[in-house]
This record gives sequence, C-alpha cells and structure tokens, in this order.
Amino acid sequence: MNNRLLSSTSLWVIVAFIIVAGLPSVIASQMVLDLIIHIAIFGLFAISVNLLIGYTGLISFGHAMFYASGAYAFGLLMQTGMWSIPAAMAMAVLSSALLALIVGLICTKTKEIYFTFLTLAIQMMFYSTILSWQTLTGGDQGLTGGFKKPIFLGIDLANTHHVYYFIAGVVIVSLGLLWHITKSPFGYALRMVRDNAARVEFLGMNVRGYRVAAFVIAAAFASVAGVLMSLYVSAAYPNFGYWTMSGEAIFMIMLGGVNTFLGPLVGATMLTLLNHYVTAHTKYYGLVLGTIILLYVLLLRKGLLDIVVERFIAFRLGRTKPAQLVKFDNPVESRLP
Amino acid sequence: MMTQGLNAFVIGMLLFLVASGLTLIFGVLKVVNFTHGSLYMMGAYLAYYIYGITDSYVLAVIIASAGIAVFGVFLERIFFRRLYQSNFLMQLLMCYGWILVLDDLVQLMFGAEFQSMGMPSFFATAPLMIAGAPIPLFYIFLIGISFLVALAVWMLIVKTSFGSKVRAAATNTSMTGALGINTSLLYAGVFALGAGLAGLAGALAAPVRSLVPGMGFSILIESFIVTVIGGMGSIGGALVAAILIGVCRSFGSVGFPMFTEIGVFALMAVVLVLRPDGLFGKGAQR
Amino acid sequence: MTKISLKRRRILGAAASLGVAGASLGFPSILRAQTAQTIKIGIPTIMSGRIAQLGISSTNGAQLEVDAFNAAGGFNGQMVELLIRDSKGKPEESSRLTRDLINSDKCNFILDCDASNGAFAVHEVVRGTGTLCIHASPEISTLTADPKMKIPNAFRTARQGAQDAIVAGQYAAEVAKQNNFTKWMTIGPDYAYGRDTTALFVRYLKHFSPSAQIVGEAWPKMSQPDYTEFITKIMQEKPQAIFTCLIGGDLVSFIDQGNLYGLFNEIEVFAVALADFTTISKVKAMPKRVHSGTRYLSAFPNTQANKAWANAYSAKFKDSPTNWSWQAASGMDFMLEAIRQTKSVDSKKMSDALRGMQIKSPFGSKGMLTLRASDQTLVDYATGWGRISNKLPFIENAKMADWGVITDLELKWKKENGWA
Repeated sequence: MNNRLLSSTSLWVIVAFIIVAGLPSVIASQMVLDLIIHIAIFGLFAISVNLLIGYTGLISFGHAMFYASGAYAFGLLMQTGMWSIPAAMAMAVLSSALLALIVGLICTKTKEIYFTFLTLAIQMMFYSTILSWQTLTGGDQGLTGGFKKPIFLGIDLANTHHVYYFIAGVVIVSLGLLWHITKSPFGYALRMVRDNAARVEFLGMNVRGYRVAAFVIAAAFASVAGVLMSLYVSAAYPNFGYWTMSGEAIFMIMLGGVNTFLGPLVGATMLTLLNHYVTAHTKYYGLVLGTIILLYVLLLRKGLLDIVVERFIAFRLGRTKPAQLVKFDNPVESRLP
Repeated sequence: MMTQGLNAFVIGMLLFLVASGLTLIFGVLKVVNFTHGSLYMMGAYLAYYIYGITDSYVLAVIIASAGIAVFGVFLERIFFRRLYQSNFLMQLLMCYGWILVLDDLVQLMFGAEFQSMGMPSFFATAPLMIAGAPIPLFYIFLIGISFLVALAVWMLIVKTSFGSKVRAAATNTSMTGALGINTSLLYAGVFALGAGLAGLAGALAAPVRSLVPGMGFSILIESFIVTVIGGMGSIGGALVAAILIGVCRSFGSVGFPMFTEIGVFALMAVVLVLRPDGLFGKGAQR
Repeated sequence: MTKISLKRRRILGAAASLGVAGASLGFPSILRAQTAQTIKIGIPTIMSGRIAQLGISSTNGAQLEVDAFNAAGGFNGQMVELLIRDSKGKPEESSRLTRDLINSDKCNFILDCDASNGAFAVHEVVRGTGTLCIHASPEISTLTADPKMKIPNAFRTARQGAQDAIVAGQYAAEVAKQNNFTKWMTIGPDYAYGRDTTALFVRYLKHFSPSAQIVGEAWPKMSQPDYTEFITKIMQEKPQAIFTCLIGGDLVSFIDQGNLYGLFNEIEVFAVALADFTTISKVKAMPKRVHSGTRYLSAFPNTQANKAWANAYSAKFKDSPTNWSWQAASGMDFMLEAIRQTKSVDSKKMSDALRGMQIKSPFGSKGMLTLRASDQTLVDYATGWGRISNKLPFIENAKMADWGVITDLELKWKKENGWA
C-alpha cells in the first residue's frame, strides 16, 4: 500500500517536472518563467500552511515567520561565503524546523482562535526582532548586497534557466513529499484530529503530539519556500515575516480551495496573475482585487479547485445524493471556528 | 515618574477608545472584525471633511460616528450577516476585501497624500499641570470621552433590556431567537454600535494624527493586542489592558526603546498561553 | 508669453496622456507591436498605501520632462514612453517587476523610484542585466558610497544621506553658536534611514560645534500614530534644540502632538524633511522657531527656471511638486541628455557618457547638476537650510550649502569607512 503510494507519487513528480521543464522551450518569455517561479514559491508556501489549516484544523496566522526564518537563515549562511547551496538550504530548513518545534510546543497549548492569535503574536515578535537586530539582519533594508552562488552538481544558479529548473524542481519534489504525507496514515490521523480530537484522544493517540508534528512539518516546507525566494532575489526582507504574508497564504488557500491538495496552488496562481495583470493597467489594484474578493465571498464561498472537484465527482456519480457527498468531503467548513 | 504614569494613562485611554468597538463586536457576535481599522480611517476622513465644511468639531465628530454606524449597518446586513454561520477564514477574507476597497476609495476621494485636520481653536491652549506633569486639554477631553464610552457600553450591556438580550444572544443564539427576540436586528444594532465606536475613535484622533489611506493598518494590530490581552469581548478588560500597554510603552521608551515593541507582543503571547481568555475573559466559554 | 506657452504645454501634455491612456487600454501585445519605435523607460515605484505620494509625485516629475522631450520631436522621431509599475512597497515585487519591465516589456532603461529597500532589489536586477538604471528616490548613503555596491550601469540622482547630514550639521552648529545652545536631542524613525541620518547629523554637528552634546535620543517606529511617550521624554530631558528626520505625515503628527504639550515653546526644532510643499502646507500650527533643509521649494533656488518648472508641474498635475519630483525629473533629464549626446539608446554607451556628465538644471546650486564620476551619484544640487515660516515661500534666508565643504567632509567620512 505504502509502496504503491510512493511509486504513484514519484510518477506524478516526474510527470510534473517534465511538463514544467518543457515549458521554457514552448514559451520563450522570461516573464512567464518569472511568474511560474513566483507561483511555485507562493504555492508551496500556501500548501504548507494548508497542511495546518485544511488537514489539521489549526488556523495559523503566523506561518510567514518560518518563510522568513528560512529566507534569512539561508541568506545569512550564503553571505558568509563558506557554505554550499545545498548545505545552506538544509541548515536553513533544519533550523527553521527547530524553531517551529519550540513555537509549536507553545502554540499548541491553546486552541481555536486563541491558537490563531498566539501564532500571530509570536510572529510579530519575530518580525520586530528582525527589524531591531540591525547588525545581523540589516533591519528594514533587509539582507542586501547579494551573495555568490557557487556551482554544485553542475547547477549554476547565476544562470536564469538553471534557477528556473532548480526552483521548479525543488517545489515539485516538496509537493510530492507533502502529498505523500497527507496520504500516509499520519495524514489520516491529522484529519481525525481535525474532525474529532476527543475521539482521537480516547483512542489513546496523542493529539498534541500530532498537532506539533504537523506544525513542524508545515514550518519546514514553508521555510523551503522562503529559502527559494531568498535564492531567487539574492536577499531577504522583513516583510517576508510580516503578518500580511501569512494573510496572503490564507487568501490563496481560500480562493483556491481548502479541501483539495493543490487548491492553494490554484489560489496562488489566481492571485499572482491578478496582481500581474491588474497592476499593469491601473493603480487602483486594491479596488479591483477587493471587489473580486467581495463578489467571491457573496457568490461562491468555496475555493475554485474545490468547486471543480466537487462538480466533477457529482458528475461522475450521476446525481446520487451529491449533497451528502459534499458534506462528507467538506468537513473543514463546519469544523472551523 | 509622575509624567510616565500620566503618559501611560493617556496612551492607554487612546488605545482603549480605538479598541472598544472591536472587543464589543467580538464579545457579542463572535466575529473578528478585521475592517475595524478601515472604519477608524473612514471616521477620521469623514470628520476631516465635515470639519472642513462646517468648521465645527462637535458636528464633525457626531456626523462621523453616526455615518460610520450607518455604514456598519450596511456592512452587517449585506455582508457579515451571510457569514455568521461560515467559518472564521471566510469572514477574514471578506474583511480583507473591504480593507482593499476602502483604502482605494479613500485614495480616490481624498488623494494619496496625507492630510492634516488641525486642532480646533478651543483646545489650542497650553497644557495643564497635574502634580508637576503636563497634560494637554485635548487629551483630558479624549480621556473623558473614553471613560464615558466605557461606562455607557457597560451600562448598556449590564443594565438595559437591550443589554440582557445581547448577553442572551451571546450565550445562546437559537434560544434567544426561540423566545421571540429578533436576534437579527440585535446583531445589526451591536455591529452599528461597534462601527460607530471605530468612527468616533477616528474622528477624535483626527486633529492629532495625520490622515492617510492605509492608516487603519497600524491601529488594527494595536486593537487586537488590547482585545486579546483584556479578554476578547470584555470592555473592562480592554480598559485595563490598554492602560497596561500604556505603561509598557511609557516606561519602555525610557528604558529599552528598541524592545518595547517586542515586549508588547511577548505580553500578548504570555497572556494567551497562561490565560487564553485574557485577563478579564469569562473563562472557558465553550 | 508664459501663459501661452503654458497652455501649449498643457494641451500637448493632455494629448500625450490621452495617447498613453488610449494605448494602454488596448491589449499589451498589440501595444508592444505598435510602439516598437518608442523608447521605453520602466519605473518601479510605490503607487498605493501609505506612501503612494512617492510614486505619484516621482512619476509626475519624470513625465513632465518626457513630455517636453517628446514635444521637441523625441530622439530621431522616437518618442519616450514611461511604464509605471506598483511594487506596493515589497522589495521582492520590485525585483520581479524590474525583471519583467526589462525582459518582457523590453524597457530600454530603468528609472527606479522605489523606497530604499526596493532600490537595493532593483540594483541587484540591473547588476545582472546590465540595463542602465538611475535611482531617483533612495537617499541611503551606502547605495553609492560603498564600493561593494558599485556597478557601471547604475546611477543615483537622489540626495545622499551623508551629504544632507553635512549641510545640516554645519547649519545647526552655526545657529547653535549664535544662540548659545549646547544641549541637543534627536528623534528619528527607528529604521535604517532614520538611524543613518541621525548618526551622521550628530557626527557633523559635533564636528562644527564641538561643545554640542546629545542628552537623549528617541526612536519612534515608522508610521507610529501616537508620539506621547517621546514628546514627554524630550520635555523631561529639557534640551535646547532637537533634530528630527521624521518625514511626511509622521513629522506633521509629531508637530501637532508636540504643540499640544507646548513642546516647542522653549525648544528650537531642526527638521530636515519639513520644507517640502506637501508636508509644510499641512502643518496648521507652525512652531515659532523651526529650521528645515530645503527638500523642494519653488523659492529655492530662487531662480526663474525653478519657478517656471514648479508652475508647469502644478498646472499639469493640479498638485505641488515634492522632493521626489525634482529627483525623478533630474534622473529623467540625465537619461534624455545621454540619449542626445550618444545618439543611441545603448545602456553601455550612455553609462559611459553619464559618468561625470553635467547638465543645465533648475535644481542645481549654480544652475548645473553633475553626476560625479567616482561614485556615480548626483552632486551640485541645490541644498541648504533656513528658518521656516508658515506662509509662502515658507522659508526665510535659506542658505545655499557650499559643495566644496560637502565634498571634503564626505571624502574624509568615506576614507574612515575604508570606502575611498
């Protein structure tokens, strides 16, 4: 069972990479590649947050903290000039995971909206620290000055095409890992914790343990996204760790879909494209995006991919009790505070 | 020392004024109103506009609070009402939509540059001295209003029949509905009050703070801190929490200016871990 | 005479903006095909949120110069077109937008009007692409003073923090000597610009007036709504003068709230960023003794050319120009002059021409602006300090700073940092 999952996941990862890798030869535009890089990074970040929100039922409003910790750790290590890229990446992700373990142990003492506010508060502490610790972080200027990108395994990240392949590759492998986690027994345990924590406790499982584990895993993948962004812009900025960044991930999740694995990626695509095309035409970007969000809230109220998947399943099963099916497939909506 | 103490009080009361509407709406409706900062901004701009026309600060404050209360009713009837049954994230998304729209609308109407309203001539006097510490007349006025607001909201909720209905609705909505009380109208009323308080805070702050699209943003976070530390939904708690933060900032700016900011968030985190319902929350509500 | 030419300017401007509006409504791809003959200049800037004024007044300043250039026939019939993008204050967006402007929109050059953290991001992009880039807004000294940052294709036409600090220190020391005050306090926004500017000011204040002592510092965070604790802190320390580099709305809030406490009754204020139309006109109750650096005023330098420029700006945009406006306009002027001189739109040739270039300008201290070759940054711009009044022209007896003194001290400072 597990082996079959593993091989099917690997297959998807390979197929996805072939598709994404083929794109540059079809589309010659650097802009499209830049957009894909942004979508991939934000998508990975949003999906990692959704492991907490959608799968575990924990609404974190502070996950940008780990996006930032990944970016800063990586940037700082690279600026020493003594680290290779893979080693710095591993170290950045590891230290972010460690940080997440401590923060997770504290945050999971609380529940529901208190958890949300606690993650927000700790994130803001982290953000204020970045701003105040100017000698290390450069304060509000961010880590500037760039860094050298030594070649490893034949990959030269000073080359824009290599950057594209590398970032796309890392994101796809990460998504494969996350997919694998959500489909593993551990992933199903998380869903149980979300749906009925009391019963899980009754079964003798450690609810808090599962929550902390999910917190750390989500943070680790968020930090991977941060590392990639830092690599891409050769810097790290404090707004990576500001609460609006966490908010943006939540909007991507909501717009794209909570209940489907790739929903947040769809949301990231929507927001990035909207941002790109609307800002090119008007300075009243907020008015346009805000109106779209309000219409969405009034009319749809579900992520795009969630709707597509629901329709698809309903269509396949004919009209056999679609309502019940939706209810079964959609426990998050009713569960969240 | 005296100056610092008085300062803490001044800072705290202004914070309370801004946060009171947020904690009220949360207490009754269980809605985290992220548009609170934007309502504050609109209150400030509306007051600025009316003051410019009429040259009357009193009129400006009254019209601004009333105007934002009416806008609150519109928000509640058309948007929030549909989402009471939905999850927290959907409410958040909707509020985000409004924040974006309102910021841009204000920019369209008043321009991107900041505006300044100027101090009404009545308050433009030398500060009073209380035990050797100076305090401006305008701040005494604001503190007075903040106390009145605290008292009025508390009386309204504890002493009047509207209040008992509100409290009933807060504990058990469906039961209140079954008793023939129009909870829907009640909710609109509370939302209007909360929005009106945001508008009032904006209008009162307008003479001393510059107005700019996006000014609601920094207020929003401050209000959250006050609300959370005081206990979400507790007016008295918000009052105490606001003064506590005032103390932090007033003494922090002397001792450790760099770390005041971190300290305030640390305080919020500690309260959430030790007493999730805040210093004055009602204990486990669910 | 002037009336007629103004009218003509306005009509031309209107026609040009109509054209741009019409074109940008169409599909971008079609636009690209039709305007292959235009010279495109990309502007990453901030058009929304708290500092939207930065983007609006910079792009207006640049547009004014472009309109004049196009009206005069452009370059061999090629018109210049500005492509403006809103980074919303996020440096990673600045980075992406700049790459986008260069790679997809095929912009020939970049006029960077972003805040200073965005400027570093833009700088990294053009370091890679080699596109000619003029930074027109960031004042942070390290952008050009630190040789590690230097690249051949990036220039700066904004004030530089260190130069401003020298001028401020010299002026403040003089006023202090006349009035016999020695006790100073500083209040500046707690971020890199604020810390940088304040530290440099203190350094030069003490250089010119060794008896000066700093009795306290206050560091509010940026866009803080309430300054009560800092105001009372200043009152307790009882300095004779304060220096502040708060800007825009923050500065006005600080003055409004300070007035409530009567803070400025006994204290002389030195506010470097006050004398900018959009800031100074918003102060309703100006303290009695305030001094400011000249950010942008139509009366400084007090020349016909400068007044005419300010009038043209106001006529076209129904608004007053800011410090950002003249900086962006100067950046644009240098770029256009480089096109004329090199008769090309080649980034490398133009960069070579720009190094050390001098142009006539209403904003020069003696009618000329120079892009200094050694560090590729703007010098000789009109800068000075004066006493502020709350009526037009807002400044009395503004003293033009001596660029000889500035250059000397700047060089010493660079040597101390190991930068020169």
